[in-house]
Amino acid sequence: MSVTRRNNVRLSGTGKRPMIFAHGFGCDQNMWRFVAPAFEEDFQIVLFDHVGSGQSDLTAYDSEKYASLSGYAADLIEIGRELQLQGAVFVGHSVSAMIGVLAVLEAPEMFESLVLVGPSPRYVDEGDYIGGFSQAQIDELLESLADNPMGWSAAMAPVIMGNPDRPELGEELANSFCRTDPDIAKEFARVTFTSDNRADLPKVPVRSLILQCSEDVIASETVGHYVHRHIPDSRLVILNATGHCPNLSAPDEVIAAIRAFA
Amino acid sequence: MSLRPDGRVVKSNMTLSDWIGFTQAELVGKKLHDLLTVPGRVFFETHFAPLLRMQGFFHEVALDFVAKDGARIPVLANAMERRDDRGDLVFTRITIFKAADRRRYERELLEARTAAEAAKRELQALNATLETRIRHAVDERLRAEESLVREREMAELREQFIAVLGHDLRNPLASFTGGIRMLRKEPLSARAENLLNLLQGSVLRMSGLIDNVLDFARGRLGGGIGLDVDPDEPLQPILEQVVGELRAAAPEAVIDCDFAISMSVPCDRVRIGQLVSNLLGNALSHGDKGQPIKLCAITEPGELVLFVANAGDPIPQATMQRLFEPFVRGEVRHSQNGLGLGLHIASEIAKAHRGTLTVESSDRETRFTFRMPLTHSDVLER
Repeated sequence: MSVTRRNNVRLSGTGKRPMIFAHGFGCDQNMWRFVAPAFEEDFQIVLFDHVGSGQSDLTAYDSEKYASLSGYAADLIEIGRELQLQGAVFVGHSVSAMIGVLAVLEAPEMFESLVLVGPSPRYVDEGDYIGGFSQAQIDELLESLADNPMGWSAAMAPVIMGNPDRPELGEELANSFCRTDPDIAKEFARVTFTSDNRADLPKVPVRSLILQCSEDVIASETVGHYVHRHIPDSRLVILNATGHCPNLSAPDEVIAAIRAFA
Repeated sequence: MSLRPDGRVVKSNMTLSDWIGFTQAELVGKKLHDLLTVPGRVFFETHFAPLLRMQGFFHEVALDFVAKDGARIPVLANAMERRDDRGDLVFTRITIFKAADRRRYERELLEARTAAEAAKRELQALNATLETRIRHAVDERLRAEESLVREREMAELREQFIAVLGHDLRNPLASFTGGIRMLRKEPLSARAENLLNLLQGSVLRMSGLIDNVLDFARGRLGGGIGLDVDPDEPLQPILEQVVGELRAAAPEAVIDCDFAISMSVPCDRVRIGQLVSNLLGNALSHGDKGQPIKLCAITEPGELVLFVANAGDPIPQATMQRLFEPFVRGEVRHSQNGLGLGLHIASEIAKAHRGTLTVESSDRETRFTFRMPLTHSDVLER
């Protein structure tokens, strides 16, 4: 199976330099809908869905491979090789920030720089490290996914109805956006919220930009500072945007920060 | 409840306060995720907030609120963004429904689904086991058929071997018999005549032994004793021939015959001859040499009764029980020889004719009695 089909890779833009966007836990490449178009003139834009999300090929999902983030990083590198990417700007949101870190350690020639949006190398508190969640809270999160996937999928079903108020979002989008296979969502949540990539940060060999939201309940400002301190050649920008998804809630701010960096 | 563009509560109704214990005043300024469980917060941020931003609304999202006293309140929430003409967010309205019953129902559905899936897996496992068992059974059957075929081939080989062996053993005896017959035509002294009689007796005994050994081998190796039944041939001549041969071989012995065969006997005459020869041979070896041996064959209604009786020491009780088993002899005396197959073969011949061979032994006499039915079909069926 082709890598581009597997990961639903979409290309656009008229520029030479590649810029590759990776979505986080929840939803799919549409997370970049308000951001990516701003770079189409100057960059070759690469969008994709992680296997198990969006319109990726669900038959390619393999619980064993995707039980660690390196499985996702391997896919990212395969996409880069397939497209012969060199000197790319990688933009990763949430858990994909760490997937990008793992990929650049494996294939440094592929990336010129990293843009990490709301990154967290570890969500669970440990000793002096503040991840923002206690072990018990993460356990509750994973249990609730195991216990109640109905609330999840049933909640998703009614929204897959098209969108009369926002015609710019076609039916295609409404049908796929945030739709998740409950079993895969469960495993993606587990790998996302239980991984620990703190030791990888100091090895990042390229320059990096960290975009940190205010009042992010998933990746707090403390964590943003931690990432900044541990990635050698990194810049930290604190956005006015609140929440965990500035790419949706404050696209202009995100675009400006990336433009200034890239 | 209504949220400002920055996500903070500006307004909520009394009902929500009743449910979650915070007053309306306390709720102002809080963010929605302050009221949610940790999983709810994470899902809201990663899934529902993006959905709201992308579509401008979401419907029927399952969340758990945390009341002021810490209790969990399961709810379904609808949300709708209101934007101004320039597209800027003015406020977000969230409508909340208590959903304890629905959540319980969903959980029951989930449990039912889990149970159904477990049952399905069990069924699949069962199917797999069944398939394996069928495969094994088929394999076993194939192996059994193979070994049956092999066994049949072996049996054929044995038959051929026994036939060739019998032929090779009997040929030299035929030469002896021929030689003896030719010598009898020469003028002979009384002593030479006597020696020829002895030789002929030995040839006869040897021939009987060969028959018994071959029959035994055939029976043991699965061939059984085959019969060549002809009900129209009379039985008496073969009995007389057997007696004649034995008299010639043992001129000093007295064999009294009493034949009353008035009905046709559906038997293999050669085999019955062999049976009688074995019984008479046995009587000659073990009986009192000074007293006559009786051979009697009569047809009674429905059966043939044939017995051989001799005087002499009775057969010991211990030997009686195993008398018709192969290689069993009475107490070994130096004068006796043979393999102990004679009575066994006689008994097998009796069985082959659907008959019985029994023995009675007392101080007065030892008597072997052979009985067989005269119904043709009974014998022919074999």
